[in-house]
Amino acid sequence: MMIGSPSRKTGWLAAAAFVLPVVLLLVSLNIGSYHIPLKSVWTTVVGALSSGRAGAGSPEADILFRIRLPRLLLALFAGAALAVSGASLQALFKNPLVFEFSLGISYGAAFGAALSLVFLGRGFPPQLAAFAFAVLAVVLVLLIAGKSASQIVTILLAGIIVSALFQAFLSFVEFFANPYALQSLIFWLMGSLAQAVWKDLALTLPLIALGVIVLVLLRWRMNVLSLGDEEARTLGVNVKWEKILVIAVATLTTAAATSVTGVINWMGLIVPHLVRMMVGADNRKVIPLSAAFGASLLLVADDIARSAAPFEIPIGILTSAVGVPFFIVLLKKSGRVWQ
Amino acid sequence: MKILVQRLDYAYDGFRLDIDSLGFAGGRVTSIVGPNGAGKSTFLKCAASVLPLDRGCLFVDERDLAALGGRERARLIGYVPQEPAFSFNYEVRDYVVMGRAAFLSVFSSPSPHDVRMAEEALHYVGLEGCSRRPFLELSSGERRLVLIARALAQEPEILLLDEPTSFLDPRHEVRIMRLCRRLAGEMGKTLIVTLHSLEMAAKYSDAIVFMKAGRVVAFGPPGEILTEGLLRDVYDLEMRIVDCAGQKFFVK
Repeated sequence: MMIGSPSRKTGWLAAAAFVLPVVLLLVSLNIGSYHIPLKSVWTTVVGALSSGRAGAGSPEADILFRIRLPRLLLALFAGAALAVSGASLQALFKNPLVFEFSLGISYGAAFGAALSLVFLGRGFPPQLAAFAFAVLAVVLVLLIAGKSASQIVTILLAGIIVSALFQAFLSFVEFFANPYALQSLIFWLMGSLAQAVWKDLALTLPLIALGVIVLVLLRWRMNVLSLGDEEARTLGVNVKWEKILVIAVATLTTAAATSVTGVINWMGLIVPHLVRMMVGADNRKVIPLSAAFGASLLLVADDIARSAAPFEIPIGILTSAVGVPFFIVLLKKSGRVWQ
Repeated sequence: MKILVQRLDYAYDGFRLDIDSLGFAGGRVTSIVGPNGAGKSTFLKCAASVLPLDRGCLFVDERDLAALGGRERARLIGYVPQEPAFSFNYEVRDYVVMGRAAFLSVFSSPSPHDVRMAEEALHYVGLEGCSRRPFLELSSGERRLVLIARALAQEPEILLLDEPTSFLDPRHEVRIMRLCRRLAGEMGKTLIVTLHSLEMAAKYSDAIVFMKAGRVVAFGPPGEILTEGLLRDVYDLEMRIVDCAGQKFFVK
């Protein structure tokens, strides 16, 4: 898979990257307010795997498979979705500071999902409206940024404007929501995996998986697209369509995650940068490793969110607490590193 | 491969490129010279399809260039830009292998064969030792050579080089011009090179095109067309041509 990287370091890293989420998943099953002994987790998991049925009726099995497992899977998938989309968009815009938030995708998707939840009810899949408004947000950002979209400042400003617009729309939706809907809406806007139930995941997880797979397949093409429109065209790339493909898939993937988790910012910025620091800029490595480390990181963040305090900390607050200082350092450094 | 230009007319922002008829011989090095703003780079960009090209203007062996798809065109024509556009610091080999894009589908990555093509191209330009170095660590002369290697990995019959020697020291300048000669002589490629150095153009090209204000003023082998009168017309400057050790020098 990783042609052009026979180095031993990358090999180990790749192996670690794909074992890590599995190990973390098993460890995270132990974490939660209801204490389940390690041995009991083990026997329940092994029992379910060997019998082929989850949830044999014991309270342990119920908690593990109905409450914890969907949540942990959502953390893994959403983490991968956000990190891979961020990495893809950075390559595409030749701009290391672009991510879901700076393209307005987060709040576009959040507004769409909120609109759907408040007016169409929980029975209607919020992913549809989330995707529609996320696309609208990206289109608006690109229209505002115009031809200088590869310049960091222009696109950040355009993103701020569009995000502010959709935040205002969100407030408008909140205004019309009934008190019960409002409460869950606000909690959801801060980012939370607590509402993960199998019914929502049945649509979201396959969508995310599809998006991540397509972006991973496009990983080398992103190297070529990151050279800029002119050079990519002379190399025989159909720049317009391939860019639209990457943006659409990245938006769909992020919107699918955001419609269930609410706004979780900064993942798309932090993870690809950490990966680039480890393996360099080649997207053939950056994209798959971002998926693996994004999944792991959001899972750990969620473990902290649900176990560090007697109440549940909204996960969006945790990722922002790490992401904001990270972003400031990158912004200060970017002049030297990327130009 | 023969290139034929016919009634090429391209206008933007008050500038107009207007070439009535021009032919480039296959397997030769042709230089395009002329003052700044003469339209040298614009012509090259039209030929490379960086700028939009109308049908019926440019033919390669009787095939209309504008009618070709992007992939097909890229396998025919390689373009070496003046400055590399970069944002991420790729390894040199990863950079060169991008020249294989025209041979790969959207969803695939380079095969070992493609990587080998990239290594061979690097070897040909004399940078085999730089394969795993970060691109941004290279000197600007080496970066130009990497760009040429990337175009070679593309396996085109025609190579367009936009001022490949600007801002380079004399050693790298000569290195690149000798490479151009070898590409035409050994590999039979057709090269079109824009240049500012008249010495380089006179020494290394089979033919020179003089351009001024978007038009072709003179075209032919350097030994036949280089006269002090022509230089005065093209550059609005008195120059003397001095022959020394079998080479032409231009004294301003």
